[in-house]
Amino acid sequence: MNTKTISFEIKNSIAYIGFGYNSKASMTVLDEATLTDAKEVVGEIKKKEELNELKGVIFYSHKPTCFIAGADIKLIGTFEKESDAAHGAEQGQIIYNLIEDLKIPTIVCVHGPCLGGGLELALACDQIICSDDPKTVLGLPEVQLGLIPGFGGTYRLPRKIGLPNALDLILSGKHVRPKKAKKIKLVEGVYPKERLLSMALKHLKSKKGKPGLSLEKILGDNFLARRIIFQKARESVMKLTKGFYHAPLKIIDVMESGISKRRSSYLAKEAQAFGELCVSEQSKNLQHLFFLMEGAKKYSGPKGDGVVPKLKRGATIGAGTMGGGIAWLMAETNMNPIMKDLNKDALEIGLKQSGENFLRKVKRKRMTRDEFERKQRSIIPQLNYHGFKKADLVIEAVVENLDIKKKVFAELEKEIRPDAIVATNTSSLKVTDMVPAFARPERFAGLHFFNPVNKMPLVEIITHDKCSPETVEALYKWVIRSKKTPVVVKDGPGFLVNRILIPYMNEASYLLEEGVPFKDVEDACLNFGMPMGPGRLLDEVGLDVAEKVGKILFGYLGERARPNSLAEQVTKRGLLGKKGGKGFYLYDEKGKETGPNPEAAELLPKKRKQMDETEIQMRVFLPMINEASMILDEGLVAGAGDVDLALIFGIGFPPFRGGLLKYADSEGLEKIVDAMDAFADTVNPDRYKTSDYLRSMIKEGRNFYS
Amino acid sequence: MREVYLIDGKRAPQAKSGLDLKDVPVPYLGSNLIRNIMDETIIPNDVIDEVIFGNTGAPPKYPNIGRVIALEAGLNKKTSGVTVHRNCASGMEAMGQGWLNIASGRSELVFAGGVESMSQMPLIYGRQMTELFIKLMKARTVSEKLKALSSFRIPYLSPVVAIEVGLTDPFCGLNMGQTAEVLAREFGITREQQDEFANRSHMRAVSAQTEGRFDDEIVPVKVGKKLDRMLDQDIGPRSNSSVEGLAKMKPYFEKKSGTVTIGNSCPITDGGSVFLMASEEAVKKYNLTPMARMIDYHFAGLEPERMGMGPLRAMDGVLKKTNLNLDQMDLIEINEAFAAQIIAVRMAAKDKSLAAKFDVNRALGEIHDEKFNVNGGGIALGHPVGSSGSRIVVTLAHELKRRKAKYGVASLCIGGGQGGAVVIENLEK
Repeated sequence: MNTKTISFEIKNSIAYIGFGYNSKASMTVLDEATLTDAKEVVGEIKKKEELNELKGVIFYSHKPTCFIAGADIKLIGTFEKESDAAHGAEQGQIIYNLIEDLKIPTIVCVHGPCLGGGLELALACDQIICSDDPKTVLGLPEVQLGLIPGFGGTYRLPRKIGLPNALDLILSGKHVRPKKAKKIKLVEGVYPKERLLSMALKHLKSKKGKPGLSLEKILGDNFLARRIIFQKARESVMKLTKGFYHAPLKIIDVMESGISKRRSSYLAKEAQAFGELCVSEQSKNLQHLFFLMEGAKKYSGPKGDGVVPKLKRGATIGAGTMGGGIAWLMAETNMNPIMKDLNKDALEIGLKQSGENFLRKVKRKRMTRDEFERKQRSIIPQLNYHGFKKADLVIEAVVENLDIKKKVFAELEKEIRPDAIVATNTSSLKVTDMVPAFARPERFAGLHFFNPVNKMPLVEIITHDKCSPETVEALYKWVIRSKKTPVVVKDGPGFLVNRILIPYMNEASYLLEEGVPFKDVEDACLNFGMPMGPGRLLDEVGLDVAEKVGKILFGYLGERARPNSLAEQVTKRGLLGKKGGKGFYLYDEKGKETGPNPEAAELLPKKRKQMDETEIQMRVFLPMINEASMILDEGLVAGAGDVDLALIFGIGFPPFRGGLLKYADSEGLEKIVDAMDAFADTVNPDRYKTSDYLRSMIKEGRNFYS
Repeated sequence: MREVYLIDGKRAPQAKSGLDLKDVPVPYLGSNLIRNIMDETIIPNDVIDEVIFGNTGAPPKYPNIGRVIALEAGLNKKTSGVTVHRNCASGMEAMGQGWLNIASGRSELVFAGGVESMSQMPLIYGRQMTELFIKLMKARTVSEKLKALSSFRIPYLSPVVAIEVGLTDPFCGLNMGQTAEVLAREFGITREQQDEFANRSHMRAVSAQTEGRFDDEIVPVKVGKKLDRMLDQDIGPRSNSSVEGLAKMKPYFEKKSGTVTIGNSCPITDGGSVFLMASEEAVKKYNLTPMARMIDYHFAGLEPERMGMGPLRAMDGVLKKTNLNLDQMDLIEINEAFAAQIIAVRMAAKDKSLAAKFDVNRALGEIHDEKFNVNGGGIALGHPVGSSGSRIVVTLAHELKRRKAKYGVASLCIGGGQGGAVVIENLEK
């Protein structure tokens, strides 16, 4: 045996197969080399089994934090033809079949992530045992990449844990922790990680695995029960994904049609489905997004010569809803935040925000009551600067007023250490305008959180000319540590997300003014995959806030961002959106939408204009693409990937489209510019003026990603 | 012996049991204060030598609450933590041990204080029920278990209230209130005198609250289901208190002929208090500004049935140790367990023959009204047993500082028949 990635040794007639051998990577993935080695190893085991030299096989990992994190996504991305991808899946299936067909008992010791192809391998063994470590998770997350598990996972999982649980795991792609894994019988035992190998031996000796559940028992006794299970699964997928995602539906098809088939014909179907999905645009987009997310986990911006400060202790200035949300995030990451404001009422609003965020976790059993006590009490509400010398990071969230903010900064800077970082959570002011308030502007930047902080995954890090790279890097790492997605943006009006969002909201208002029915505009955006139509989004943001921000951006960006008077009229009528209970829609006390608001409908023009859905979508999304191209031209972000990531995490731009600019690429830039030019003639020459950047890309035959 | 400095002292707001603080897990009544004090210093979290907390009845969840507080306060895991129990003076005992540690050179930095949640003191099963449980645990077979269970009788379930038992002296069998009645009888203290004093306590505490005199010593505690309310005031002092109102209450401990009522006694209360204590070396090393110097302390015993006179014996002892006399004290803080007991102590302090009955062979001097419990006391503010011993020193230190005065003594009576006293010198001019 001469395998590089997998160790193979025999002790007392037991074969020990160790993954993650000789590897420096922290995570083991099933790349080409590993699969080739696995095939060789399994062949060797089979040979020895035939010679009666083996009594059992134990699979484990050499890595201290990972079993197998899944197949190599880069490898998946290389498949261009359906048949190639299907063939790839079959290669894995062959290896796993060989394992399953061994007559000697086999067992897997799982410590750390055991996902995708890793879990499929484990399922091919007789037994799985895992460590009780918090790092240990099991799951088949393929669906999140628009794929079906292709190494027999959809075939073997229901046979091990029953159809309902298997569907739940495969269709959601969720990770299962050890305790739950034991409960649903995915694993046979949970032990401390140090004892896995010795317990594996005991398991091997005690019983020859092959769990005795018959197919009928697992799959529901009768045909009808099965029908209902699949029907329910289909309904819940449709409800969750609104039918935008192909993979879960395909998975259900494969599992349902193959339910009573023999292994070989089932697996052929699974491989074929894998092939189809793998090369689909949707999966490619999701894979693209995966790499964007992976890329964002590491800081890749400019580096300074100085030390990057570790932000251990936090403070917020300004409590209230936003300050409270930020203090909550800091408490969540054990920063013992100090929360300062001018009066007790504001502090208590902040505490309420944070308390509610934590209690939601308690309710979902993500946190114990004791942990709640500890974390919520770690927030120190106060009216003075007591303890600010200990703060490494101070985030300001006071009112959006430049003069007040500057005063606060001047006062604050005297109270903190010179190496502490100060960030403003402004959303509409320019960060650069605040720089003069600082004696040490290199330690200052913008951190734009979206409301509500606990739900919104994006944080824009706003830099300015005097900001040091160490500051940016420290903030970037802190945002990652807080389990949020950072995007670094150079200071400019509306930064990244709000600036691109302006056309989304503005154009929608113009469409309404032209007489396009409100419902048609909302539906067109929803059918595109947006989580909310523009009207609903305006309600969420607050119509008064949106109007104010709209005016500010109009001041900076000029004619193309001229706000429509409709929003103003709606605000004047006292319809402020969700927070006031009514906007374009009506809301109950809990903030749940109850339907369109007839009062808002009255303000819309009486004339009706029919417009087809695609045209509405183009009217709304093309100016966004145009604005994004200008942002790239101005060099405000590092690349198209940042724009796409920010819009997906910032406003829920449909992930299956891979992002706004990925979508633009797939539509074709020429087509987009032609449509823009046409709208410039027929609708408005300012709002549809194609950017020079877009034109030059076409001239150079480029698109956003090449 | 080395000098011992009090760097800063803080306390939680105090609330009568069963009110605002009832659900606050006990350690947070102390850990919060330590965090607050640490935040204003440059002391790293791994150089505190000891965390000593007085406590008399934490729920069983927190054995050695001193250590739990150290960890909850964010001090390094290698910080030593201990819990001490000298009944009503547990907080003062903690300070005494802190003083000894530092004075003798064993420690440089010590947090010493007390916590008590009398709301959360446990109910205990009676002996018979406890024995039944033991039998049940030992039983191996079903029939043994059934046999054990069959001995159960309904009255076994009536719980023993730990707090009630704790407030009854095991030696003389008197309840604390009854010991106050003993003093009232023997000193001829009337009901009116007691109510008058109780009313004074409320008036003084209310004016201290409204004039913000507690603001520097109180660190707010989060309360409410969502922990979104900041309790920053004591719940106890009543602005509408009146002698007439107090006169309407019925005697509690001697129903027929007694004079001690709930109104002229301290209520059972939740609270916490702590000092950061330091040696001179530590003061220099960490650039600390001490608020006071703890000169010395003293504990002394007497008959359990007259435990209320403890402060007389303790003050006598501490004044002798410090070579100071009562007249030199700018402020005198005595924990108000019962109005009768306070009045008796004040009488005996200025009367040599009365003092002699308690083995004090001199008249200590007059406890002048303008120096004494100037911000009210236990009757209005409450008496969280484990904490009061350090709480009164916190309040004393802050008031001395406010007045730019020099010496102060804090003293209290201790259930079981003892007294404790501490003398401090204000250093902030």
